[in-house]
Amino acid sequence: MSTGAPTLEVRDLTVRFAGLTALDGIGFTVRPGTVHAVIGPNGAGKSTCFNVLSGVYRATSGSVRFGGEELTGLPAHRIADLGVARTFQNLALPPGATVEDSLMLGRHRLTRTGFVAAGLGLPYAVREEARHRERVREIAAFVGLEDQLARPAGTLPYGQQKLAELARALCMEPKLLLLDEPVAGMTAGERRATAAVVAGVRDSLGISIVLVEHDMGVVMRLADSVTVLDFGRLIADGTPASVQSDPAVVRAYLGEEATS
Amino acid sequence: MSEPIKRLRRPALWTAGAVLLLALPFYLDRFWLQAGLFAMAAAIGAIGLNLLTGATGQLSMGHAFFLAVGAYGYCVLAGDSTATLTGLNLPSWLAAVLAVALAGVAGGLFSPIAGRLQGAYLGIATLALIFIGQHVLFNAHDLTGGFNGRDVPPLSLFGVTFDESELLVAAVPFGSAEKLWYVALLALAGCALFARGVLRGRPGRAMNAIRDHRIAAGVMGVPVARYRAGVFVLSSMYAGLAGVLLALVFQRTVPEYFGMILSLEYLAMIVIGGLGSVAGAVVGAVFVSLLPQLLTRYSDALPLVSAPGTGGVAPGEASRYLYGAAVVAVVLFLPGGLVRPALRRKTTTPGE
Ligand SMILES: Nc1ncnc2c1ncn2[C@@H]1O[C@H](COP(=O)(O)OP(=O)(O)O)[C@@H](O)[C@H]1O
Ligand SMILES: [Mg+2]
Repeated sequence: MSTGAPTLEVRDLTVRFAGLTALDGIGFTVRPGTVHAVIGPNGAGKSTCFNVLSGVYRATSGSVRFGGEELTGLPAHRIADLGVARTFQNLALPPGATVEDSLMLGRHRLTRTGFVAAGLGLPYAVREEARHRERVREIAAFVGLEDQLARPAGTLPYGQQKLAELARALCMEPKLLLLDEPVAGMTAGERRATAAVVAGVRDSLGISIVLVEHDMGVVMRLADSVTVLDFGRLIADGTPASVQSDPAVVRAYLGEEATS
Repeated sequence: MSEPIKRLRRPALWTAGAVLLLALPFYLDRFWLQAGLFAMAAAIGAIGLNLLTGATGQLSMGHAFFLAVGAYGYCVLAGDSTATLTGLNLPSWLAAVLAVALAGVAGGLFSPIAGRLQGAYLGIATLALIFIGQHVLFNAHDLTGGFNGRDVPPLSLFGVTFDESELLVAAVPFGSAEKLWYVALLALAGCALFARGVLRGRPGRAMNAIRDHRIAAGVMGVPVARYRAGVFVLSSMYAGLAGVLLALVFQRTVPEYFGMILSLEYLAMIVIGGLGSVAGAVVGAVFVSLLPQLLTRYSDALPLVSAPGTGGVAPGEASRYLYGAAVVAVVLFLPGGLVRPALRRKTTTPGE
């Protein structure tokens, strides 16, 4: 696997929805191969930021550069082609498909079989399918879902569905992985396991990760750097330790502390 | 002991089914052969619509338009030129292939719209196709024959002409229906296998992803608009082939057949049979196309239903009430359609 993940640079990013400024000129840099956390109270604009990075929302102004490419203005599938993968805060797994088929969707950008080849069952399509199912099983084993592959994704417990979504993103063999609250709604055991998977991804695959998470334990353990947002504004940026003692951050988090 | 038996059961069932279908022309009378041919042609069209609506979540009200393109396309391409009608007089097998391609081209012309519009919005836009289609069919006299329609030239393939000239096979006289039966069976098998390959492979996963979660599909690298457009073209070609076969079975095409009701019937087929799967399309097509035939054949034995023109409920009308009720019942109680009765409403949405 390539370790040459490009740098992600977000500059002066502003997103407005009819009257509401969800992101107000924020900027941060994710160095290759690091875990960068984006934290902040609910409604701070974290998911909106991910939606811009992945091409789901259009930025009102500002720039997002990933290596040599400008991501703002690209459609979602072109951004995926550049090796950007993400998970959703609220699950986005197909309810009926098996876990294995759900993960196979992650291989879409890495495979070529079209309508004719699939319809006629051409040997090359069959070989491609088998090869990528093999890799999907490896990735499922990596996150600990190897025994669930044949089950419909919708029948898994919530925590495992989140894990399946993480696995699907990994199936894209991304260079940049965007995780939107990957351990929210999980049991303590699932949280630990998922944090270990994320750490494993960083250490063994060398890809950059942007992590949105409320669980401060997980953030402090995994993140190399942290950006703090509040009401769409950037209020702090730095190492986990420096951010944690920042008075502005403490103020923004008062009252949040009890719930997380 | 029971393991190998279980493993053999499926192929055994398929073989028995295939033998039965191959043997039917030797036993069925013309009425039932026609009905069966009609069901097979409908099944091909329904598979196409199920790729689009069931598997990709894109509603189409315009399926009848593409059926008409196939049916009339074949007539024009294979037909003779006369004083009132244009015909290109091409070999009929070539005309059939080109008519399917023509339906694909028509789908391609509409596909920029089909790619951009989502779900129900596409359904509304495709209504326009019905209106355009009906207008052209009634008014382009030299191509379509107008209100009275035009005759369908018989198919000839490998030196066999699929007309009434009788061929004696094992002491059973083979007319056009018997001969066409095998063409339709082959076409249906090919279409079903192709669609199954598409649905189980990479394109099918992308299509289902577009239906289940469009935003996630894009994020996973699926070019959503391009896929919608592609499926629309494919589904048009299925409709085109169904149209060619229907024309060959009816031996005459008339414009009023290809109206809105026909589009609704195809939607009823995939809902009743099961959205998103090949088997669902086939079962639904058989149900919806055989029901009126059954009612016609046994109208005197059934209460309330009477022969057309005698004052009671005509069989065609009665069957529409019946499958209207069937659609409602399936939507309420069997969201997986007839092919997957075990599927519960709450656990999943319809689909593969
Ligand atoms: N599609 C949208 N339309 C209008 N407002 C939106 C939309 N998406 C997000 N918002 C608003 O933008 C703000 C930031 O939301 P979000 O990015 O989801 O916050 P977070 O993920 O940090 O909790 C919220 O006030 C939210 O209501
Ligand atoms: Mg959020």
